[in-house]
Amino acid sequence: MANRMNWLQGKTVRKNTPTNASHSRSSSTPQVHSTSSTIFGGGVKDPSGRITEYSSEDDQCPVCKSDKYLEKKLRLLVSSCYHKMCESCIDRLFTLGPAPCPICNKVLRKLAFTPQTFEDLGVEKEIAIRRRIAKEFNKRVEDFTTLREFNDYLEDVEDITFNLINDVDPVGTETRIAAYREANAALTLLNTQREEAYILSLRQAEDMQRKEKEARAEELRREEEEEREEKESGKREIIERLERAEGTDAVSVVRRTKRERAEREASRKGVAPGGSAQALLRARLAAAAATTKDTPHIPFQDDYYAYDDMFVLQPIYVDPTSEAVRKDREGIMRAGGYRVEEAWERAVRSAVAGLDLWPLDAIPHPLGVDQGGDIIMSAA
Amino acid sequence: MDAVEKANTERQKRWVKDQKVGEGTYAVVYRGREASTNRKVAIKKIKVGQFKDGLDMSAIREVKYLRELRHQNVIELLDVFSSKTNLNLVLEFLDSDLEMIIKDRSLVFLPADIKSWMAMTFRGLEFCHRNWILHRDLKPNNLLIASDGQLKIADFGLARDFADPGYKMTCQVITRWYRPPELLFGSRYYSTAVDVWSVGCIFAELMLRTPYLAGESDMDQLKTIFRALGTPTEQDWPGHTKLPDYVPIGQFPKTPLRDLFTAASADTINLLSQCLLYEPRKRITAKDALNHAYFFALPYPSHPSKLPKCAAQLTAALPLEELDGNTLNGKTNNRLKRKLSSPNETRSAIARRLDFTKPTPGS
Repeated sequence: MANRMNWLQGKTVRKNTPTNASHSRSSSTPQVHSTSSTIFGGGVKDPSGRITEYSSEDDQCPVCKSDKYLEKKLRLLVSSCYHKMCESCIDRLFTLGPAPCPICNKVLRKLAFTPQTFEDLGVEKEIAIRRRIAKEFNKRVEDFTTLREFNDYLEDVEDITFNLINDVDPVGTETRIAAYREANAALTLLNTQREEAYILSLRQAEDMQRKEKEARAEELRREEEEEREEKESGKREIIERLERAEGTDAVSVVRRTKRERAEREASRKGVAPGGSAQALLRARLAAAAATTKDTPHIPFQDDYYAYDDMFVLQPIYVDPTSEAVRKDREGIMRAGGYRVEEAWERAVRSAVAGLDLWPLDAIPHPLGVDQGGDIIMSAA
Repeated sequence: MDAVEKANTERQKRWVKDQKVGEGTYAVVYRGREASTNRKVAIKKIKVGQFKDGLDMSAIREVKYLRELRHQNVIELLDVFSSKTNLNLVLEFLDSDLEMIIKDRSLVFLPADIKSWMAMTFRGLEFCHRNWILHRDLKPNNLLIASDGQLKIADFGLARDFADPGYKMTCQVITRWYRPPELLFGSRYYSTAVDVWSVGCIFAELMLRTPYLAGESDMDQLKTIFRALGTPTEQDWPGHTKLPDYVPIGQFPKTPLRDLFTAASADTINLLSQCLLYEPRKRITAKDALNHAYFFALPYPSHPSKLPKCAAQLTAALPLEELDGNTLNGKTNNRLKRKLSSPNETRSAIARRLDFTKPTPGS
């Protein structure tokens, strides 16, 4: 448990090693002690430095069998076939170009080795595969007409991912991916661009917030500066007046100067728009709290929509008069927002409205009190 | 005197006209009272005669639609009568409008206040749309505020019923700043979405305290809209390039609303963006807007009685008796008063009338 907590806090977990305060490592971010001339990058990129490279005291290179105990600077890297090797082995085997992996014989290149992030290499592999799949299978809900289709698509993607992770039918899966890529190249590109635009907008929003914060801080600093200057000039004024011996005695001079300064300050504060608006706002909030309670929003205050419609609108009607609008050959009506369905609804609604009422039953109130807003005649 | 005339004079007697409060292009508005109950009303006297074909179109529209609408958030038409050649509409008296409140810098709006005004606007608008009426001139100036804080949609001079099969409608409606892009592009077939755009602009104006999309000409209006919301693509608004008055106007990038409305909640931004969608068919309807998460989220909308009121409204709430007293003494006095003074200088008229009690040097 303690180990897991440490991992959440971003410390590198050492297998079977009790973590205690007296541990030699001072910082939670491990320095990479590279024995190789090549600095290997990659792995999970995290600018905040919370996620670090994984290493343990029990690390042993499966190729040269050297371990952490003898070789303090041992650093294991992961190949694209998910086998670990130490940096010196990688340098030795792959410096002269692509060579087979000493464990599984797959041809590897030096630059395809990445640092390890997770203890379990299965996780490492799954992440790499999911990242690759997500790049190509990036359709969104909006790209489908029904939710059902979208769900089917997600299932397909999951199926492909599973096959890749567990090496089930690799050739068939790859052909499936290739077929998909060909069929959806344009949409994939569009979605990638959308994603990028979204990320950009997020970054801009963040930027904006930061700038605002800075502006506020600057404002505050300026105000403080002004206040300090005001105070100092006040002191100077008192001294000057005393020097010129205005007024009769020193005490009254000091008092008068202080009063003048207070007046000036008050007038300055009154002019400042921020201050007065703030005060007004506070007053209003206090007043609002003291009087009647606000009630939650109720969309409609009449029961118009409580009644069932006495009709079902058909998708289309025989309607010669609206034919021009429906056909809309020049396309000039579509963009204006005109809907012929509204005309049909109005016609049908007016035709059936009040059919279930007895004659004269509908006007029980002498003044024609609102019954859904239709014909009201005032009694005069 | 035939029966119609008799009925008309009877109606006329129900109302007393007091003081002129405003004048528009086609009407003069007076403050008045119901003779029997002293209930305050506004009397809108329509100028007849200056139009060749009789009554002005907007007067007909106003009577036609207001006669049928009665709702808490729509101004109430109490009566219609004619005097000599004029047509008089008796309306509910409302002392201020949203524009006055927005412009009153001494008032501070809470998010809950804006929510309350928006809910009332949408309720009134939904009622109009439900009854197949487009308002077509929504702006803060036409949203009147009653003394109890209720907001009421007024000025149905440009209203029209919609959902008739394929009659062209005019695109020269709605005050420019609140006019949606489809009307600016000259669409003659449109729908309820035009009113929702206006409400969206009012929503933004309530938050900014200044008109959101203020263009100087129709062309500039489009440019202002696109600058604020990005130039629409064929994907955003299918078919807009085929609209009658379509002209390509520079490419402006989309900027998120969040940049301008920094203090607004996510729900607020969402509702606003849905009111200001380019594609009219996707724009939110008044009914859906009332069911939007924005209205259900905390804070609850302010109770109408707690909404900020402007100073004019507070003074108007004072009794009018001292003003009314001098004009009450029957018809002859009324006529005399009107002949002696220009209608908006009631006070000076009173003073002059008092002068008649003394022998004046001229007469």
